[in-house]
Formats: sequence, structure tokens, C-alpha cells
Amino acid sequence: MAAKSYYILFANYTHGLALQALLKREGLESRIAPTPRAIQGELSCGMSLLVKEEHIEAVRACIERNQAVHHSIVEMENQIQPNRNRFC
Amino acid sequence: MIYLDNAATTLRKPQQVIDAVVNAMTSMGNSSRGTHDQSIQASMAIFQCRCKLMQLFHAPSPDRVVFTQNSTEALNIAINGLIHAGDHVITSDLEHNSVLRPLYRLEQEQNVELSFVPADKKGCINYDDFEALIRPNTKAIVCTHASNLTGNILDVKRIGKIAEKHGLLFIVDASQTAGVFPIDMAEMNISVLCFTGHKGLMGPQGTGGLCIADHVNIRPWKVGGSGVQSYSKTQPAELPTALEAGTLNGHGIAGLSAALDFIAEVGVDAIHQKEIALMQQFYDAVRQIDGVTVYGDFSTTNRCAIVALNIHNYESSAVSDVLAVDYDIATRPGAHCAPRMHQALETTEQGAVRFSFSIFNTEEEVKSAVDAVRCIAQQQ
Repeated sequence: MAAKSYYILFANYTHGLALQALLKREGLESRIAPTPRAIQGELSCGMSLLVKEEHIEAVRACIERNQAVHHSIVEMENQIQPNRNRFC
Repeated sequence: MIYLDNAATTLRKPQQVIDAVVNAMTSMGNSSRGTHDQSIQASMAIFQCRCKLMQLFHAPSPDRVVFTQNSTEALNIAINGLIHAGDHVITSDLEHNSVLRPLYRLEQEQNVELSFVPADKKGCINYDDFEALIRPNTKAIVCTHASNLTGNILDVKRIGKIAEKHGLLFIVDASQTAGVFPIDMAEMNISVLCFTGHKGLMGPQGTGGLCIADHVNIRPWKVGGSGVQSYSKTQPAELPTALEAGTLNGHGIAGLSAALDFIAEVGVDAIHQKEIALMQQFYDAVRQIDGVTVYGDFSTTNRCAIVALNIHNYESSAVSDVLAVDYDIATRPGAHCAPRMHQALETTEQGAVRFSFSIFNTEEEVKSAVDAVRCIAQQQ
């Protein structure tokens, strides 16, 4: 079964960077990534925070606890293997 | 050269500001326009600057700190985005044209009604006048925190209480006070705080912005590229994107961010005390020179480090020119974009020579400026 990733979507970069700063303060891992076109919906383009499957529940709890501004959290199966040979 | 035109722009910037701009110009991509390292570096630098401004001014959140080119742009956004046809606005005689002209245009084009709290010959106002001028259709009080001509401060906390009591919006022009005076939007009940980055904040020109209180909704005056919600026909509704169409001055904002670090290290109160000490040294000396007339209220040190004066009946531009050419001292003459204040001070024709001090000026420089004023005054 393919691994899953979770994209946290935002209305703008400021909201995204604010949440990333919050997650960092709480020791939770996330990475800024371009939002996949398939899940952008009405937001269309922009940044998202990419969270690994093993961290998503802690991240959700943090968002809930702090009432952090965000648009939505979308689950996606990884289309590309992250440990691929980058020069293949 | 002795630079005493810091109310126009602070010429000398902290070295870390210059370094930050150079670094940004060699490494920064476009903010909010991608997620590669260079774009994120720009987005992050701008976000950090928002956070620092939020802390400095006690704004509600980083996304309610909006960047503009300067105070004038910020005031235009706030005034045109909040004041509508049929509204009444109360402002003061102390205002700069950055407040006056947007209001006059609304008066001419949209029948917005204006009332002015008058200033006396020292540029002082009666605070009760704000309340006395309130009408049923009064929408807002728009006023400066300090006169750019005399340095007189307005008690914005007191005015903010009047605005709060009557449910009015309160728009403040902090061009002369940001970075030099403590400003607490929440405590002062400020709805929109407009600031520039290149004066007391000691950042680069082309930076400024507005901080917006919760529940204040400003209609954007410009729309366009935002880096997000590209398929929407309308400007994104969320702040700060709603009011920031087009690429931001990321290089300048990186410099402003470094300037805010400098201010945090030195302290707003320490900066103000140093500037006021230089102003007091200058004022105490020039006021005793025959033929010198000083304008403004110097009964308190709760003021900006500005001394506006005239010598005899000399053209203020001629005095400033002699100071520049013969003494290598930079000052500002003329009307200072504050027409109503000149009327109050009765200096409409002559204008005034404005000396304005920064933390980087020295007592020796002030002494040289006093000597120059004395020499010009004695050359009859």
C-alpha cells in the first residue's frame, strides 16, 4: 500500500508560515511544499505544509488546541517514491 | 555634513539594515510565489517582519500587518477603504497632506463631510473639540500622532477613548512616531495604524504599512497578483493578501526587519530620550538668539525631536539654503505638506526651517547647528 502524506492548505502564505512557526515551537515536523493541483480546489496554487502520516494526529491536535488558522487538511497517496534515485 | 532632516527620512541607518538589504538582494526570490528555498526565504523574511511589527505596535496578529510603500499609501488604503459617501470625518489642523488630500478628495467626489479640530498658535488642540464635533453620521476620527512640522504630540490614547465611546473608527498616522514612541493599538483603541518604515523605524525607503484591528474590514483599492487563489476573479478576502496585490518590496522589508531588531536592542524609550536630549540642547540655545522665532509646544518633552524656526523675516528656503551651502547642514524649509498647521502658526507665507534629530546625531553637531543659526541671525 502506498504511503500517505497530509497537506495542510491555507488561504495565503502568511497563514501557512504562522502555523509552521507554531508547529516548530511545539516540536512538530512539517515541510513547506507546493500544493498539488488536484487538491487545490478554490484556493488554486500557493503553499501548503506537508506532514508525514506518523505526525498528522499530533499536528491536528496542535491545530485544534491553538485554534490555528488554516483552510483544510487533505490526505494524499504519495505518487512518487521519496527515496528514488534523483538522477535516474 | 550634518544631517538634521530626520523627520523627512533618517539618512543614517544601522549597519545591520544595509547588510540585510544587500543579503536580500543577492539571495531572495519572490515571496508568496513558490516553495523553493529562495521564495520561502523571501516569504519567511516578510513574515518575520510582520511578527516584529505586530509586537511593536500590539497588533492583533501577523496577518493584520499589511505592507505598503509608505504612510501615504497606507492612509489612502485605510481612508478610501473605510469612508464612504455621506460619512462625516473628524480630523485636525495638525495633519499632513497624506491625510488631508485623501479626505479632501472624498469631500469633493463623494460628499464626505469633514470637520477640523483647530490648533492654536502653538499648534496645540483642545481635546474636547473632538467630542463636540461628533454628528449622527460621524464615521471616523483620522489624525496624526505627532505634527511633522512642530513635533507636537497628540494624546492618541485620549482620542481613542472618545472614538471607542462613540463607536467611531480611529485611523492614526504614526509617520513621525513609529519607532520613537510606544504605540499600543489595543490600549489606544486604534482601528488602523499607518506607518512608514524609513523615518523613526530606520528602515529603507519604499517600506511602510498598516496594522488593522480585529473586525475592521477595509475594501482593497488595488487588486491583482497575489500568488494564491489564481483562478478566482476577485482579490482574496483574507488579510494580508487582500490589501497586498503585486510583488512586495521584499528587499526593503528585509532591511526594515533588521531595523526593528536594532530598535528592540536599543529600546524605543532610549532612542526617544537621546533624540529629545539633542532637541532640548538645540531648543534651549536657539530660543535665546535675537531674531529667532521657534514654533510649537515645548512645555513638555513628550514630543518629537523637531524644532521648527524662522530667523527674522528671512525666507525659510533662503535660510535652509545658506545652512546647506555655507555650513553643510541639511534641514527642511518651506511648507512641509502641512498647510493647515502653517495657517495656525501664521507661517503660511514664510514657511519654517525644520531641524529634526536622530539617535545618530551628536551634541557636537547640535552645537555646530546652533552656531550656524546664530551667525545667520546676526548677519543683518
